[in-house]
This record gives sequence, C-alpha cells and structure tokens, in this order.
Amino acid sequence: MGVGFLESLAEPLRFLQFAGQQDLLSAILSLVWIAFMMLFLFYPTFSQKLQLSYILRDLERRLYKIKQIREEVRRKTLETLKRYSEGGAKVDEELDKMLLSFAITPESMDPYGIVYKLEHIVNTWEDTFEENVRSLCSKADRERVKTLTNLVEVARGIDYLYRLIRHYYLLGKKTSNIYIVLQVQMLMPQLMEIAEAYRQACYAFMQGQPVGDGVGVLAAAKLVEGVEKKTYEVAKDTIVHETMLDGRKVYVLRAAGPGGAVGKPADGIMKIIEAEKDKVKAIVMIDAALKLEGEDTGKVVEGIGAAIGGIGVDKFKIEEMAKKLKIPLYAFVIYQSIGEAITPMRESIAKAADEVAEKVKNLIKSRIEEGFSVIVAGIGNTVGIGVS
Amino acid sequence: MMFSVKSVLGNREKPILTPLTYLKCLSCETINSRPFKEGDYVFKETEEKCPKCGGTKMKIIGIYVKEPPKEAGKIKKL
Repeated sequence: MGVGFLESLAEPLRFLQFAGQQDLLSAILSLVWIAFMMLFLFYPTFSQKLQLSYILRDLERRLYKIKQIREEVRRKTLETLKRYSEGGAKVDEELDKMLLSFAITPESMDPYGIVYKLEHIVNTWEDTFEENVRSLCSKADRERVKTLTNLVEVARGIDYLYRLIRHYYLLGKKTSNIYIVLQVQMLMPQLMEIAEAYRQACYAFMQGQPVGDGVGVLAAAKLVEGVEKKTYEVAKDTIVHETMLDGRKVYVLRAAGPGGAVGKPADGIMKIIEAEKDKVKAIVMIDAALKLEGEDTGKVVEGIGAAIGGIGVDKFKIEEMAKKLKIPLYAFVIYQSIGEAITPMRESIAKAADEVAEKVKNLIKSRIEEGFSVIVAGIGNTVGIGVS
Repeated sequence: MMFSVKSVLGNREKPILTPLTYLKCLSCETINSRPFKEGDYVFKETEEKCPKCGGTKMKIIGIYVKEPPKEAGKIKKL
C-alpha cells in the first residue's frame, strides 16, 4: 500500500520538474529560464532598470500625497485670505505670485560684509511679502496681517517642497538615472514628515494658535508675568520688559504678539547694550531646539552660546557684540522635532516654559551680582502668545 | 493584496491637532479648559463665566494640545 501511494505522488512531481527534459513543458520552461539568464548576461543594466521602475512607482505614490497636501494648504490659505480681502481683489493671482516669489542670496566670492548684505536682502523680501499680504487683506488688523503672512509662508514652503521633489522625480525618470531617484527615495520619509507638518501648521496659522517654536517667547513672558515692569518697543516687532529681580536689572526681550512674528532680537539686544554699556553682565537666550530621535519632547537643556536659528544674521550680530564686550552668552533650549516646532504647541512644550522661567531666575541670582544688568531674550514665533 | 492594504492604511490622513484653551478665573483662581476658539491667545483677558464661582473675568493661561499619558513599557527604552 505504501509503495503504491508514493508512486502515485511521484507522477505529478515528475511532471513539474523544470529541468528534467522529460516532456515538452519542462523543455519550454528551461528555455525561458536560460533566456532570462541571458538577458541579465547581455543586458547588465536590466536589474537596475527593474529597480528604477519600482523606485519611480514608489516616488510617484508619495509625490501624489504631497501634491494633495499642497492643494489642501493652498485651498485653505486662499479661503482665509479671501475672508480678509475686499470683494474685487484678485486673491488667486496674488497668492500664486507670492508662492513663486524668491530672494537671491548675495555673492559670496568676496565674503567681507556678506552678513549685512544678506540682512538687507532678507529684510526687503520680508517687508515686501508682508506689504503684499497687507494690501491684499485690507480688512485684517496689524496682528492678523502678521499671522496671515506666516500662513502664506507655510503655503510657499509646501509648494516649493512639492516642486523640488517633482523636479528630481521627473529628472530621474527622463534620464533613467537610478542614483538621482534613489537619493530622493532615501529622503522621502523625512520629507513626508515635513509635508505633514506643513499641513498641520496651515491650520494652526489660520486660527492663530501658538506653535512649538513659540516656547522661547512663552518662557520670557512667564518670567515677567505679574511683576512690575516697563514695556516698550526696542526694534521692529520687538518689545522689551524692564524689571528688577533681587537687585538685578533684567531686560526681557521678545517679539511682540499675538500676531505671528519673530522680531529683530539682535537689534534689540544691541540697543540695550548701547544704553547700558558695561553694566550688562550676561545675555541669556531661550529657544526651541531640534531634538534627536529618542529624546523627550519638552526636555529643557542648558548650554553656552547664542540660541537662535534663522538665516544666521541675528546670531552673527549677537556673537559679535558679546565677543566685543566680553559678555557671557547662556542658552536654554527646549527640545522638539521639526514637526512639533511648526504645529500647535504640545502640553510638554508648554509646561517646559514654566521650568525654563524658574531656571533663568536661578541663573540670574547665582551668576549676576546685585546692581548689574542682564538681558533675557525669548526667541521664536509669537503667534497666539500675547503680552503678559 | 498586502501592498494594497498597506497603501490604503498609509494614505489615511492624520487628524488635525486641536488645542485646548486653559482659562484661569480672576475671582476664584480655578483653572478651566475648553476647545480653542479663533481669537484666543495666551495672556488674553476674556469675559467668560466661571463654572465654579460665576465670575465673569477669566485670563487665558495656556493654549496647547493635551498629550495622552505615556504607556510605560510599550517601547523599550534604549
């Protein structure tokens, strides 16, 4: 019984033998297999072409997702701008013009004085951008115009991201260059995360909600909350609170809110130092910082240096002044991811503002002698954060 | 089949984060929260009724997204 059963099984197995050359099907399959091997032998880039088509298909799927986000952000931006504009304004056209606007960085062949050239170009660009939004949204007040400018910048950011990825996708496809598309594919997880952050940021700026980047400003505001102080504008969109802390004069500097602005902290610090001269014994800067994967959001870390991002103009000016007058620079940063920085503020980040305010107070008491002054600069976007 | 399930799950849109506004009653100092409304900003004084003492003056002390408590042991700490 056992032998007969095995023999009955052997028949279909023999039929399925590919290289057995016992029947017509096996012979055909063997030929196909050899032809396939020959294809790889005489057409060595065949496997690469195959891989390229897989990568391109994957990129196409993700690019389509980014396109959807870009259209959603553009639609929401347009709706919001229309709410604040007069009936006759050509909001569509003007928005498209702003989305494609650009600034040309100065020539760096001779780097002498490049920072001030860059500052001039960026200031002109920012002013023009804001002026365009103001003329388009005549119904919006001063604070709202600033937040709407931020909203258009978000729309511009996602629009550029989409166009850039599309460029490399099409370039890779046109030239069949696997190395171009491979690099884009490797970056795609991070780029998708940034695209999603832009989507969330659009809703935050539409409604004027505080974002993670505003934690430096929030901490500065908490430092002077409920205390007697003198408040005045020290530079464009930048205010300073003058107060006393156990015999030390404290200048708390921040961008004016609640509209979305970052101000000109370097100009503000320079003006205070010019007025106070050698009485300033420290500059304390508070800002959001990018965390590494695995680190907790809202973690407060202390360090040395100018804690400020952006194009580098403010950082350069603050460092120059601090070095010239030998003023120590202390920094407090609050960890967060790039997505958390531009999306509505998380609980852990908001709670960190109180912790930083306490730490700054302790630092001032321990490192600054009575009778001297200290500048505390809260860096970040003030959207949704008023004056305390 | 596996690819189609993955693509469907992958394309699902993430919900928009909606922060809460935290208000402190200027009479009894009770902290209340409600969903964020357009026009809210931190340190703004509003005329809203306190559910505890009935006071009409409140101050916004925070606007942030409430985070779910971290599940201990779900991800091994490295």
